Amino acid sequence: MLQKQITPAQIYGGSDIKEKEFNTWFGTLLLDDEGRIDDCILFDNDPEMLAAVVVKLQKEMLPVPLRRPDIREAAIECGFVKLDEEYDILLRDVCIRAVKNQISRADADDSRIIQAVEALDDIDRNVNELGERLFEWYGRYFPELDMTGEELARFVSTYGSRTNVPSDHHLFEKASRSMGPELSFTDEEIIRAFANNICSLYDTRRYIENYINNSMGSVAPNLCNVAGASLGARLMSMAGSLEKLASFPSSTVQVIGANRALFKHLRTKAPSPKHGIIFNHPFIKNAPWWQRGKIARTLASRISLASRTDFYSGEPDTSIILCLEKKLEIIRKANPVPPKREPQKKSPVRGKSRKGKQGSRGKMKGGKN
Amino acid sequence: MLVRELYSGAYELDSGDRKMLATRNMMPGMSVYGERLIIEEDIEYRLWDPGRSKLGSMLLKKFDIPIEQDSTVLYLGAASGTTVSHVSDMLMDGLVYALEFSPRTMRDLVQLCEIRPNIIPIFADANKPHSYAHIVEKADVIFQDIAQPNQAEIAAINSKYFLGEEGYLMLSIKSRSIDTIANPRKVFREELAKLQNDFSIEFEVLDRKELAPFHEDHLGVLAKRFMG
Ligand SMILES: C[S@@+](CC[C@H](N)C(=O)[O-])C[C@H]1O[C@@H](n2cnc3c(N)ncnc32)[C@H](O)[C@@H]1O
Repeated sequence: MLQKQITPAQIYGGSDIKEKEFNTWFGTLLLDDEGRIDDCILFDNDPEMLAAVVVKLQKEMLPVPLRRPDIREAAIECGFVKLDEEYDILLRDVCIRAVKNQISRADADDSRIIQAVEALDDIDRNVNELGERLFEWYGRYFPELDMTGEELARFVSTYGSRTNVPSDHHLFEKASRSMGPELSFTDEEIIRAFANNICSLYDTRRYIENYINNSMGSVAPNLCNVAGASLGARLMSMAGSLEKLASFPSSTVQVIGANRALFKHLRTKAPSPKHGIIFNHPFIKNAPWWQRGKIARTLASRISLASRTDFYSGEPDTSIILCLEKKLEIIRKANPVPPKREPQKKSPVRGKSRKGKQGSRGKMKGGKN
Repeated sequence: MLVRELYSGAYELDSGDRKMLATRNMMPGMSVYGERLIIEEDIEYRLWDPGRSKLGSMLLKKFDIPIEQDSTVLYLGAASGTTVSHVSDMLMDGLVYALEFSPRTMRDLVQLCEIRPNIIPIFADANKPHSYAHIVEKADVIFQDIAQPNQAEIAAINSKYFLGEEGYLMLSIKSRSIDTIANPRKVFREELAKLQNDFSIEFEVLDRKELAPFHEDHLGVLAKRFMG
């Protein structure tokens, strides 16, 4: 969109000229030392294109020269518009377009990801139920077959009756000696169609997962970077939106997904739960148990920061993950071995928090289902 | 009903038993956020609830409001435009740049901008004036209503970027967004000191008053850019 724009370096061949370049919504002004206009490169008077310029400049956040002309006066001086009224009308049109574009990206996007996450959950529920039916149904004809889930569905969809298992298949022996009755042709067709549907649900599931992985990078790049695409998407979905996630204190982020334990905590003043879905993050999962609490706190605070950065600026900021890694390193170094004391003999305060941990672990299972 | 102009474009309607703040409706027949419309001698006014607007309460607190008919105003923290709509009414011949960074509220604000010709919406973070310096011109007045811990800093950097030499800064300071437990008076004193000393721009504070009973724990400030 900006191919027409010539950089000052191209004109003057200098690099120190850079700070005397003032990029405005209607063109680039080249300034002299006093901040007066030396030259200007104007854009076309096309609102849609100018709106794209506004959005782009807002993202780039180029440095602005301290001494610079007023941009309204500059627009008239450079001949971009003739009258003040003309300036007002065009700028308003351009800014409204720019803002619409920005907000539709800012919050329509997280909702499409949330829909996708919820669709995954729907598929999981259905696929489990259908899988159990297939297991029971097909099991009557081939009880020795030791398969479930996707593997079973693929098997039935490929071979149908066990008599179709080819002789070079590792299950050929089992299939030919099965004590299950033969499948009639009609039954085989029906069972196969049923299995085909389960397979296609698994395909769709993978398709959606890919979609989430790919879009998280543009919708919430920092959250995706820190939490991973699927955990990040899940946090957004449980919070309700990226905006809500961004508004939560990190202590809440830490327990998102531990709902039952959390409600119990709020209702009965039971110790607050420590296991939200962020415990599925490999940083925590792979850590020794005595480091997990500390890592969870750090991770939650970084996730919180990442979602705020995504919500308010949308710009990737690698310092968030770098800082997280540094902090994890410190935690690992500071806590190399498990605490010595027997859990039972801990001080009362500690004992209490341990109980909380156990309680919430129990609840986690409930929360996950 | 008795109509008296308090400031350019802002009126007091006196019904005998009650005085009400209002602006002259630039878009007759249209209420923006459910406020009442009152027609008096063929002129339509929109009632302005000072309890819902820092600027409205500053008017009633008799601040010497520097907004003129033809001013250029930069409004930081426009939210969905409740107050901005009244500023828009006051600016018969001026322009208000309305800045807000929450997408949800921006959605409402854009709708208002589409109806009114003198509001320019900007979706940006007030901490980063260089991200909108390519849009905003020199302003006669900067009005800031942003509940952030670094309110003074935000006001200072925006003034540095956009406030004209003779420009005014109007600021609403919310003590609880700076320190939840400290005595508001102490917070106000510190924020004013910050504003006057901490940044590479100088202000002369012309007026300051607490905005109670309209807004508890808020201080209104009117300052002028100080040219040494
Ligand atoms: C108290 S409300 C303003 C109410 C509005 N002035 C009125 O009277 O109608 C504060 C607004 O500032 C916005 N805000 C807070 N921090 C901001 C920032 N850094 N940049 C832009 N807007 C911000 C908030 O989203 C919120 O809408």
